[in-house]
Amino acid sequence: MVGKLVLALLAVALTPLVGGLLAGVDRRLTAWLQSRYGPPVLQPFYDVLKLLGKTKMVVNPWQALSASVYLAAAVTSVFIFFMQGDLLLIFFVLTIGAVFLVVGALSAPSPYSQIGGQRELWQMLAYEPLLILVFVSMAMVTGSFRITAILEHPTPLLYDLPLMFIVLGYVLTIKLRKSPFDISASQHAHQEIVRGVLTEYSGPHLALLEIAHWFEVVLVLGICSLFFATSALGVVVLLAATYFLEILIDNVMARMTWRWMLRSVLTVGLVLSLVNILWLYVA
Amino acid sequence: MRDTLVFATVLLPFFAAVLAFLARGAAPRKLIMVATSLVLITASACLLTQGPFTLGASPIFEALVTVGDFALLGIIVFFGVRLKNQLVVWLSLGQIAGLAFLDFFLADHAATAPAFYVDDLSLVMVAIISMIGSLIGVYALGYMKGHEEHLHLEKSRQPRFFFFIILFLGAMNGLVLADSLSWMYFFWEITTLCSFVLIGHDGTDIARKNAERALWMNVVGGAAFVLGLILLQKGAQTLSLQALLAIAPEISAGGLLVVPLFLLIFAGFTKAAQAPFQSWLTGAMVAPTPVSALLHSSTMVKAGVYLIVRLAPLFVGTYLSALVALFGAFCFLAMAAMAVGQSNGKKILAYSTISNLALIIACAGINTPASITAAVLLIIFHAVSKALLFMCVGSIEQRIGSRDIEDMRGLSRVMPRTAVLTAIGIMTMMLPPFGMLLAKWMAIESASAQFLVVAMLAMGSALTVLFWARWAGMLFSAPFGRGTPEEQPPSVRLPLTILAGASVILSLGAPFLYNRLVAPMVAMYYAAPGYAVSTGGMENVSGVFWIYPLFLILGIGFIVALRAAGRINPADVAAPYMCGAQRDVNGHPGFTGPMNQPVAATPGNAYLPRIFGEEMLGRYANVAALALVALMLGGVLW
Repeated sequence: MVGKLVLALLAVALTPLVGGLLAGVDRRLTAWLQSRYGPPVLQPFYDVLKLLGKTKMVVNPWQALSASVYLAAAVTSVFIFFMQGDLLLIFFVLTIGAVFLVVGALSAPSPYSQIGGQRELWQMLAYEPLLILVFVSMAMVTGSFRITAILEHPTPLLYDLPLMFIVLGYVLTIKLRKSPFDISASQHAHQEIVRGVLTEYSGPHLALLEIAHWFEVVLVLGICSLFFATSALGVVVLLAATYFLEILIDNVMARMTWRWMLRSVLTVGLVLSLVNILWLYVA
Repeated sequence: MRDTLVFATVLLPFFAAVLAFLARGAAPRKLIMVATSLVLITASACLLTQGPFTLGASPIFEALVTVGDFALLGIIVFFGVRLKNQLVVWLSLGQIAGLAFLDFFLADHAATAPAFYVDDLSLVMVAIISMIGSLIGVYALGYMKGHEEHLHLEKSRQPRFFFFIILFLGAMNGLVLADSLSWMYFFWEITTLCSFVLIGHDGTDIARKNAERALWMNVVGGAAFVLGLILLQKGAQTLSLQALLAIAPEISAGGLLVVPLFLLIFAGFTKAAQAPFQSWLTGAMVAPTPVSALLHSSTMVKAGVYLIVRLAPLFVGTYLSALVALFGAFCFLAMAAMAVGQSNGKKILAYSTISNLALIIACAGINTPASITAAVLLIIFHAVSKALLFMCVGSIEQRIGSRDIEDMRGLSRVMPRTAVLTAIGIMTMMLPPFGMLLAKWMAIESASAQFLVVAMLAMGSALTVLFWARWAGMLFSAPFGRGTPEEQPPSVRLPLTILAGASVILSLGAPFLYNRLVAPMVAMYYAAPGYAVSTGGMENVSGVFWIYPLFLILGIGFIVALRAAGRINPADVAAPYMCGAQRDVNGHPGFTGPMNQPVAATPGNAYLPRIFGEEMLGRYANVAALALVALMLGGVLW
């Protein structure tokens, strides 16, 4: 128990480094795909450090609360993951962060952050049911929502749940804020709603959100890794392939509207889940 | 001791109600209400320490209940005739005939069963009704004063109002303590009558119309109840819950009695306002707020789910059980979707209530020790949070003159205290580590083997988060500025504060609640326990929920965050970005528009009426729900 706790705390401490590096590699790869040179790999760290040094400006003090709670929830969910706790519990803790991000955005009476907040809610509506279904399907195969039980499963989950991995891919795309789903807060500040849900967060608060985002990305990738938990090499290959595919999708897709997202993601996700779970029963 | 406590919780309110009716003037009424509340709260707390027991009552009460039954139905027939509502009249007459048949031809008066059968489920219910109901009663003292001033009445209608409120509490306590289902039916009918009168209390056209709707829908349920009683008496030769639950394994394994069970469950659906009967509950909002709080959180609708959870051991593993789970999950999803399309605060609360009741019903249908645990915890935590939210919205409405959540933008500046209390209510409804989420987690994990049920629970949960988060965010949507401290009468402030505290503290005590109240009850009717309490949380084979670690980590995070928010220097407050020249437009943020005119930025939520509107969605939901009920009926008759 104590050993587990120490390991989990170590993992949580390392997570922002891994997340930041991932973000840097992501930017370099994106640049490469767009025939640009791109920033240095450590650029995300420079950005966050610079933000942390700025004055705390807010529109409404509730934003300061929201940013901190968002980070706390993201850290907690990663901690539960490395403690090998309950998948559904991780999901609920993730929800705390998402809700507070939105509450903070809505507390600023600016049209951009209001619309961004609304869109963030629609995005949550698109991915939350799918994430629950991914966890439920894993529990159907392994008999438990505990990560300990999932790690003890003899064969890779990917063989039983190939379609659920695609569903998880949808969740990952939304969580990474990649096209076609970068609807509530785009990477670029020259969109129709500026930076949407992030518009009114600035300085150190924005840095907290950025760090929390790294945590969330690591978490979702961690959940992806559970699909091939039987071999370390398998995990690396699977994650690298998945992440590269995400970047590719990001670069070949346009941003779409949230109505299209809701319709398509939920339909495709539910159908894939149904087919995969029926197949579990039959096989 | 026990007989005194049962007397105090059931019969005493009947006398207190009469006193409240006869008392003229505000002071004696206040005295009676507060005294009754204190007695109820104390008695129910003492009952909790008693543990399960049975209690006989003298035969005179048997006769009184029989007479009371016919008297009640007579009153309902009278109302039906006055409203010219054929359905109410004929169904009530049918109930009179059915009861006469049951009482004078079928019932075996020689066999004596105890009048009261009290186990932990009943005790939980009594505690909820007596404690939360009393708080709502006290809140009503302050609320009704403002309400009647607003209406400029010649003659106060408060005596009648408090008569029914207190009567309601007594009847509900009787309903959950009764052993004989025929006694339960008597109290059930009292709640039908009370709700009819209370919904119509203001006497406006819409109030009358909605009261009538509540009456006919509940009369339909009552008729199903009587028919169920007759078939049960014929099939099992007893109406005693204790006797039935004692042989529950044989009944459920043999698939016996499913027809009367279906009828009783159907009665539960009507009382709990499940689709297609949801409109009476959403219509009940026209009544003064204490009525909605009482109907929605601690009494009336909980009676329906109580009956279903109570009977659950009798249909474990049957076709009926699977369909009840499916029906519950469907209503949970449909009603959460309806709530998304609403901007009327009370309607959101009403739909959310029906949605949560449906979740409880789904848990009863899943019918494993874990899911029954979830159902009981949901009943407890939902009652607290929902009562709080209703009373907050009532106070807000009296202050700002609107119940539309769009008008609650920036409420934190007008009513800083109530805004925070409302936010606490919302957060305890939808976020971990609070009790509602603990129960929802149990529900989803115990449903994980049934894909359709779990998919609907997943969708419904996501929709629930959507409408709550939206509302919570709007409450604080204001430019920076010190809020004005608000004035509230103590009879309003105290219940709100107590409930907000209780919603958090009870969540902390969830493992304790489970060990003391839920586990013994599950052990009485099911072979295996649902969960074990360990490592600072609840766990079983399928998962583990770390309550205390989460409370600790998130609590520290939240306190740090609060301090960060408190340390914001007013000099560092920026105006919101407007993509142009910002300016203040009558206290609202805005910008300089064309022709140098000021334009206020007015955001609004997307309610998507074409997808989530009551008209469209309600129709589909009702058809689908009716189809499920028909499937149930077809299945049990097959």
